[in-house]
Amino acid sequence: MTYDWDGFLNLLILLLEGAKLTVMIFFLTLIFSIPLGLIVAFGRMSKSWIIREPVKIYILLMRGTPLILQIALVYFGPYYLLPEGMKINLDRFAAAVAACTLNYAAYFAEIYRGGIQSIPKGQYEAAEVLGFSKIQTFMRIILPQVVKRILPPMSNEIITLVKDTALVQTIGISELFRVATVQSSAKSSTIPLAVAGIYYLIMNWVVTEFLQRAEKKLDYYR
Amino acid sequence: MIMLEVKGLHKSFDSNKVLNDISFKVEKGEVVAVIGPSGSGKSTLLRCLTLLERVDRGTIVVAGDEMVRTNSENYAVYAPESSLKKIRLRMGMVFQDYNLFPHFSVLRNITEAPIHVARISKEEAEERAFELLKKMGLEDKADAYPYQLSGGQSQRVAIARALAMNPDILFFDEPTSALDPELTGEVLKVMRTLAEERMTMVVVTHEMGFAREVADRVIFMDKGQIVEEGKPQVVLCNPSNDRTRAFIKGLSER
Repeated sequence: MTYDWDGFLNLLILLLEGAKLTVMIFFLTLIFSIPLGLIVAFGRMSKSWIIREPVKIYILLMRGTPLILQIALVYFGPYYLLPEGMKINLDRFAAAVAACTLNYAAYFAEIYRGGIQSIPKGQYEAAEVLGFSKIQTFMRIILPQVVKRILPPMSNEIITLVKDTALVQTIGISELFRVATVQSSAKSSTIPLAVAGIYYLIMNWVVTEFLQRAEKKLDYYR
Repeated sequence: MIMLEVKGLHKSFDSNKVLNDISFKVEKGEVVAVIGPSGSGKSTLLRCLTLLERVDRGTIVVAGDEMVRTNSENYAVYAPESSLKKIRLRMGMVFQDYNLFPHFSVLRNITEAPIHVARISKEEAEERAFELLKKMGLEDKADAYPYQLSGGQSQRVAIARALAMNPDILFFDEPTSALDPELTGEVLKVMRTLAEERMTMVVVTHEMGFAREVADRVIFMDKGQIVEEGKPQVVLCNPSNDRTRAFIKGLSER
């Protein structure tokens, strides 16, 4: 008996379909959470407690509870919370991206805060004496230095996000890992799971390569 | 013409009185050295003059423009931000630890503010930057990054950066204190040249040689007050005040 190569090719294609969703959730989450995290970081550093304290609670909730639970709550929550007659069914995909964005923005915010607070006070003072406005100081002097400092911890989170996308299957999205588990039980085989693992590895290899290049690009100064 | 006029400056951090009734004037083209033991309030004075700290009470007038005055309730009232912005542009500051922007080349460290704050053209800013670098003896360093410079080179770039904004008055906060002795000379030489060109300067320093030879006037501060003020030969060589005498004596015994 020869190996069922057609079946294997079919499996690869099925998993690729799932990987497409994984990649989309990954990119959309990044696109929304990277800027949102900056806003959250500013809120967290605000001098006014009316802004700062709620942001601290938000960060605590996002980092202190499982992402899988947050995904479920964002998807099912509105249905239970809205009054009878106004009940809507949120789009699964949108709910997944929203939940991942809210979660990752909290982590990114704390990384940004660490980066911003690590810039010496003298940089702000030199900029102030030269007449730069607050916005110019942040955009021209502070932020470029922050980016360099936070790239390693950001890389960690971004790589984790690739794998965390698997959690969105909890609301029935057929992303890569969901497809793999379904195939695995249908065929009573672990091969689909192993292939999914290789897919994740390839994705993160690409991500790592990209991030390393970005780090290298910022190597021109210390 | 009076470039800087300070009257009755008071500044406290919590209950700690750091500046206690400071008054002095600086004429255009004058070089004033501010000396005194650490903790005497010299650096705080400079930070108040450059708007990095706000005073509690007192008057500061820069080239005829009032930066801050004291109101009838004895509180400091600052000019509106739009005026402060203009006043800030007349003052340059050189910090003890240079505070160069590490992500910019030497050239861009110098041209960034002229281009984006003073809004002159890039060509003009770069032309002026090269002139200044030449004056600092650093014309070959335009493309270097701050981490590639020695302390003395860094400080000279910082001076060029401040000069690029064409300030009317330049403040130095212990510009050579972070430098090895052999690098101190190259920075002092540049400052000497500026003094010869009649740049108005207020220099907080521990370099008694510089104060003696370059300054037109020396202000000795202790415990937040100006204890003695006058010609360097008098204040440094023949002080009338006991505290000044003790400070100078302590220095020469080191």
